[in-house]
Amino acid sequence: MNNMYKSIVELHSLLKEGKVTSDELIKESLNKSYELQKKCNAFISIIDNAKECKITDDLLSGIPYGVKDNYSTKGVLSTGGSNTLKDYIPFFNATAYENLCNHGAIMINKTNMDEFGMGGTGTTGFTGTTLNPWDIKRMCAGSSSGSACAVSYGVYPYALGTDTGDSIRKPAAYCGIVGYKPTYGMISRYGVFAFASSLDHCGVLTRNVSDAAIVVDAMKGIDYHDMTTWDSKNINLYDSLNDNVKGKKLCYIKEYTDINLFPNANRELKEHLKNFKDKIEICKNLGMEVEEVSVDIRLLKAVSSTYRVISCAEATSNMSNLTGIIFGPRSRGNSYEEIMKNYRTEGFSPLIKRRFVIGSYVLQEENKDRYFFNAQRIRRLLVDKWKELFKKYDGVILPVGRGPALHFDSNLDDYDDDSTYLEDSLQIGNFGGFPSITIPSGFIDDMPVGLNITGNVYNDVEVLNIAYALENAMEYKNQIAKENKNEG
Amino acid sequence: MSKFTKEMIDDYAEKLLIGLTEEENKMVLDEFDEIDKNIGLINKIPNIGDIEPMSHCLDNFEFELREDDYHESVPLDVIFSNCDCMRDDEVKVPKVVE
Repeated sequence: MNNMYKSIVELHSLLKEGKVTSDELIKESLNKSYELQKKCNAFISIIDNAKECKITDDLLSGIPYGVKDNYSTKGVLSTGGSNTLKDYIPFFNATAYENLCNHGAIMINKTNMDEFGMGGTGTTGFTGTTLNPWDIKRMCAGSSSGSACAVSYGVYPYALGTDTGDSIRKPAAYCGIVGYKPTYGMISRYGVFAFASSLDHCGVLTRNVSDAAIVVDAMKGIDYHDMTTWDSKNINLYDSLNDNVKGKKLCYIKEYTDINLFPNANRELKEHLKNFKDKIEICKNLGMEVEEVSVDIRLLKAVSSTYRVISCAEATSNMSNLTGIIFGPRSRGNSYEEIMKNYRTEGFSPLIKRRFVIGSYVLQEENKDRYFFNAQRIRRLLVDKWKELFKKYDGVILPVGRGPALHFDSNLDDYDDDSTYLEDSLQIGNFGGFPSITIPSGFIDDMPVGLNITGNVYNDVEVLNIAYALENAMEYKNQIAKENKNEG
Repeated sequence: MSKFTKEMIDDYAEKLLIGLTEEENKMVLDEFDEIDKNIGLINKIPNIGDIEPMSHCLDNFEFELREDDYHESVPLDVIFSNCDCMRDDEVKVPKVVE
């Protein structure tokens, strides 16, 4: 039985018609969770005592789902993937999770992630690496690695993620599913472990665009506890879905997509960019106008450093409360400084230490203008450029990364240095708080690849509709990881 | 030649009360070099200093003063559920005053 391969709407119909019970779905999802845990290490906690709930007219009622481990969940271990919080049990709920509880959604597990959401590989969480369910020799990317892995494997129809650089959208692409982060402030961040507050977004990973719309409709809303939220009660993403995109205008960036700019490109990149151009033709066949535009390459090549400087600086500040004294396992020491130092030195992974030291350096008075303020200036130039594009176009469409998921033992020498900046294009969506969605767009070497559509702030409906139309015109909707596909 | 040194990295880490291994120090040094190279390129963008730094992605936040609102405080037993070092209803903390 594979009910968990179905969409939210299909599951809701089955529940309403009494063809399946919520309890049966929970058991199926739990069984799948244990199966996947053995295979890919996708979870930090599995909630064996998850309880069924009353089936209402709410589409999410009684349906299992997963929660990334950096969402505070009352009474349930919430570690953020960090050894420093390995025993932390929150006494309150993140608002987005609480909203889903109010819709009758049933949390089945807490998903694995890079420590505090700061990695992009799914390899730095304290419980170990998440493996890609399409090929366990490859990574899922991160930081929402467990959520992407589980949705792709068919543990449930959706899981929550967070996205500070591309942490929902890149793992979604590498696992062949949909990853959507809405406009900044549409979903409250209250109770979600802060990484870089000006870039952090909540969002969802699903296997089709409709499910993403349904889940975000339930998660979103203005929140007394998060002053950056805005009132979106007049936006109903699911009801607004419409695949008539005739006359919509898209653009793609030459510097991200023209293979002639990468004379040393490897086969994967060549196939990836060719596949992307094929999908542009599908967009045109749907009646959309698609044009190539050019952006100053210096700005695009600065994206990565801009992101690293801003995110590390904000993270250093946000995580100053990780002292090992007010929460987290207390370390030994004769003074509070010694206790803190031992806690941080032994608890943080090398990646986190690196990020904090960089953050501290760029915030020093003597370095601030050269690093931090200049990064913020580049952020403005990039966001202004994208906003200028959005005056003419309904969205920017781009390939995700340079191809499929990397092998764990990939030799980075096989990759062309000149194209490294293609890995960072999605971070612009965080700089501007733009709504941004990744959908699966094909295969290279039997591994999924994706494309991304990003629109102007508050234009989530537009972005979802373009993704919805394109998804319906391709054959990758609702796909389940191949190694798992033939189980019946 | 790198403008960063091992000692500088250790000094910044110490300010954060973080200890680095030799290997971790080298990783930070390498990343600093890369960031610095890219920031060097950014500094060559004409009139970069005239641009207003962007600290947030939205610029239309509405700020308001709210009325005081009474909420029940969190019960002590719930608060203590995360505490492994306590006596009665008090948390044992390290000595901070000599």
